[in-house]
Amino acid sequence: MLYRSMISTLILAGMASVAAAADLVISMPNWPSGQATANIIKVAIKAEFNLDAEVKEMGALNSFAGLEAGTVAIHPEVWRPNYDDIIRRYVTEKKVAVLTGHSVSAWQGLCATDAAEKLGIKSVEDLENPQKSRALDTDGDGKGEIWIGATAWLSTGIERVRANSYGYAKDVTLVEAEEDVAMAAVDAANATGQPMVFYCYSPHHLFKLHKISRITEPAFDAAKWKIADPGDPLWISKSNAPVAWDAARFHIAYGAAFGKAHPDIASFLEKIDFTEEEVSQMSYALQVERQVPLEYATKWVEDRKSRVNGWAKP
Amino acid sequence: MTLAATAALALPTPAMPAQQAMAKTQIYDPKSRKWVNYDSRKAREYYNRNKKQPPEAFRMQVVKFRTAEKAGTIIIDGNQHYLYLVQPGGTAIRYGIGVGRDGFGWAGRVRIGRMAEWPTWTPPAEMVARDEKARKWAGGMPGGPDNPLGARALYLYEGDQDTIYRIHGTPEPWTIGLDVSSGCIRLRNDDITDLHSRIEVGAKVIVLMQGAALYKGV
Repeated sequence: MLYRSMISTLILAGMASVAAAADLVISMPNWPSGQATANIIKVAIKAEFNLDAEVKEMGALNSFAGLEAGTVAIHPEVWRPNYDDIIRRYVTEKKVAVLTGHSVSAWQGLCATDAAEKLGIKSVEDLENPQKSRALDTDGDGKGEIWIGATAWLSTGIERVRANSYGYAKDVTLVEAEEDVAMAAVDAANATGQPMVFYCYSPHHLFKLHKISRITEPAFDAAKWKIADPGDPLWISKSNAPVAWDAARFHIAYGAAFGKAHPDIASFLEKIDFTEEEVSQMSYALQVERQVPLEYATKWVEDRKSRVNGWAKP
Repeated sequence: MTLAATAALALPTPAMPAQQAMAKTQIYDPKSRKWVNYDSRKAREYYNRNKKQPPEAFRMQVVKFRTAEKAGTIIIDGNQHYLYLVQPGGTAIRYGIGVGRDGFGWAGRVRIGRMAEWPTWTPPAEMVARDEKARKWAGGMPGGPDNPLGARALYLYEGDQDTIYRIHGTPEPWTIGLDVSSGCIRLRNDDITDLHSRIEVGAKVIVLMQGAALYKGV
């Protein structure tokens, strides 16, 4: 998932209340692959190091504050470029958190249902054409609607910046809603062959459910990607980004102090080598097959014993 | 009976006085690949002619529906006038719905907070003020065949808070598939009774941002 939660949430992730005597805390994002990776790391650490990890759902800001304070040891999915501002603050400047070298490739951008593609909505230029974007109108006001993400996501603000920069924001209503609402809308659109355009990212289970295509855009150009500090209340109006997102990827992060105290676990985290395909499978297993994260993680580790052992070897 | 049969409804109705004009909707007939006019007066005639059934698209039916939502979740697509009850195995039971003229005006995730059989209807204060018929029921209209809430009402809650929105039955089954003047989601009495029998209090309800439309106009 490609965002930095701007809301301080701290929710037990529907799991049994955690033993107070946990040896370390792993922060868990609120999206399926993050739930899977957090639990896989938890199960693997128990198997390899006999330490009990408590998995806690929390947003990115809380996670990194926890890495700094020592109350959180590990964050399983630190997305770039979304988290770059946080990474700069906690990893580069304060040096209180460490990013592992391995990353999982990912991407984010805009997607279209098959029906939208058949109507000729294939590129961002098509969205800039009101004659075409009107096909996405579902509330009768003559303007199309595009879901750009959940209100709490940093990527949602950036999608708004991109819509302003490209110019289609003036002819299209940008909709913010929780992800499950948007995904249900995609399900309903596909069930009846209707056009819809929406923010999307991969790895994601959606691509195993429906035929979805990416909207083409001008390639990422760092010189044109001018995103102001999201801490500035006026950051959206001060930003400009008329190009595609940079290639995305995510890393595991851990607290620098934790790494010093547990160099064996730091080395283990550095060797974890999830693939994009595996992360998509995790997302599908939890979100569509409704597998319980901890049960899924236990089986995942069990089925890959030798690989997990290899991560733990010095 | 297919939607194409509603082609008989295709001619616009003669102009009516504004107060009598009712919402008109066009339905896309996937078989003829044409837009078909569908308005409430014709709909009522059609309904009476066709064994008191709405067009095929709005009859309860099992449809393919691939989703990550678990079985038992309700998805309301007010713009297409469908309510889905997710079932196992990539299917859903789809019901035709009538939608308040402005739809819900919001999208989001709520839950069934409570349910009632043959519920009492209490008109909102502003309706009591403007409508003499409603004034009669200011203290609540008992449940029954003429009650606007029909055979069942499912009350939508956000957390523990009643949202004031309901999914309910209707004494006007010919309005299914139409935008109508009142503000909630209505199903035929048989359909709301069926839906009520399949769900429990606490069921997740997703109200879509206006879904992709089979309808235009109105």
